[in-house]
Amino acid sequence: MTKDITIGQYIPGNSFVHRADPRTKILLVILYMAVTFMAFSYTAFLMLALFTIVAVIASDIPLGYTIKGLKPVLFIVLFTAAVNLFTVSGTPVFELWFLKITREGIELSIKMALRLTLLIMGASLLTYTTTPIALTDGIEKLLKPTERLGVPVHEIAMMMAIALRFIPTILEETEKIIKAQSSRGADFDTGNIMQKAKSFIPVLVPLFISAFRRADDLATAMEARCYRGSKGRTRMKQLKFTAADIVVSSVMLIFSAILLIVEFM
Amino acid sequence: MRNENIINSIDVEYVYPSHFEKVDGTKALKGVSLDIKKGQFVVVIGRNGSGKSTYARLLNALLLPSKGVIYINGIDTKEENNLWEIRKTCGMVFQNPDNQIIGTTVEEDTAFGPENLGVEPSEIRRRVDASLDAVGMSEYKLHAPHLLSGGQKQRVSIAGILAMKPECLILDEATAMLDPGGRKEVLEVVHRLNREEKLTVIHITHHMEEARLADRVVVIDAGRIVLDGKPKEVFSNVEGIKAMGLDVPQVTELFYELRKAGLKLPEDVVDIDEAVAVFRRLYYGGANVNKD
Repeated sequence: MTKDITIGQYIPGNSFVHRADPRTKILLVILYMAVTFMAFSYTAFLMLALFTIVAVIASDIPLGYTIKGLKPVLFIVLFTAAVNLFTVSGTPVFELWFLKITREGIELSIKMALRLTLLIMGASLLTYTTTPIALTDGIEKLLKPTERLGVPVHEIAMMMAIALRFIPTILEETEKIIKAQSSRGADFDTGNIMQKAKSFIPVLVPLFISAFRRADDLATAMEARCYRGSKGRTRMKQLKFTAADIVVSSVMLIFSAILLIVEFM
Repeated sequence: MRNENIINSIDVEYVYPSHFEKVDGTKALKGVSLDIKKGQFVVVIGRNGSGKSTYARLLNALLLPSKGVIYINGIDTKEENNLWEIRKTCGMVFQNPDNQIIGTTVEEDTAFGPENLGVEPSEIRRRVDASLDAVGMSEYKLHAPHLLSGGQKQRVSIAGILAMKPECLILDEATAMLDPGGRKEVLEVVHRLNREEKLTVIHITHHMEEARLADRVVVIDAGRIVLDGKPKEVFSNVEGIKAMGLDVPQVTELFYELRKAGLKLPEDVVDIDEAVAVFRRLYYGGANVNKD
């Protein structure tokens, strides 16, 4: 069940995009999102789509893999498109009782679907090419200035890193508990949604208890290894900007500039 | 004298705080005095609830003695300014391999300790590589911890401690959750570190076979040290150990039973090779001891 989710997974590689600093990639993804929301003409969408596909290929990520990653969000895309299809007013092309589809509605819903699809593909490129730990480091560094405003940046980053570390461990444990409860006759597959949800209580209770125990053990282990928050702490891996960052960011900046010129000139 | 001992504990007591105001807490340690020499391999045994893990936590200043003093390299563990120095000197590996690995990769985890100590990045890199090499986990350095076996996880935890350059390694039932193979892996590493790096090791365990290889065995029962000495000395007291609900190594047990059956055998045999030698002597009547 959990193996089908490809979005947010890291795929090892050695492309320019992989080698770029996580900070650069986070900022560029934000820029990419902004650009996607500024695109309105079909030409702009065509350019964006081509650019995204080229970017995926240049990152050594199988194109099929990115498309498969869209599956879990397909519903949201279709739902947004449907809402746009029926609610936008304009020249009607089809009318049935209270449903009215307009030409503007069709156009907008296509564009909205395209926009969301491209947005997810582009953004997932960040997680495909960046290890979770590099991502947290990048976020920590980028948020550093907000520390003066009282934002507990180090703590947030540490929490994210520990959560990432324990996701597989806790998934493993969930599977173990499900098997243990099934072997005692627990039934997880039949009944309606309510009954199914209820049948998961015997899984969740032991899972929570053990998660708290783990947290307690982990806190002791961290203390024993001299953890005292961000005070006086150094990092083994230092983030460094390299040639890859210059390449990746200039490509993205040039593309954004061209797109905006095409769109607004 | 302080220079020779890494740990001096004098009449240490520890009472676990009670959740209820008027009820006294449980007294886990009732006056433990123990000195441990630098470079010694000490095994601490005792049944569940005997206070052995509590003692380990006192050495690392995770707990502070309710009464008495513990000196680590001459530093009182109660001095708050020295807390990090003490934790750095006495590194601790815990029981559950899953709950003490913090990093998302093996090398990230090994770096965690030195990072907390504020070591220079390039020096951390050197230490991480050296520590992973010392426990034989270099080839796994980019692996995610959940994909490793129990023994490998414990070796990674040991590497994480080594990277802090400790003088003493405390294993708090670190082999309890491992299969025999994993236990062997971990013990080989620890014995080698003790031999080659002169690292002091305090190993808390339930497995008597592990105890017989130590320089010194300390038996704790009901918060007190009841036996303390070389494995041979401690295990020759078979009845005393059994009375505490503990076992003796298999060979010692065998000799004990044979003695009970009327054979004249020495009391202090803990080693298989030694046992073989004894039997051989018996069989060849002493004259041909070296004959194969």
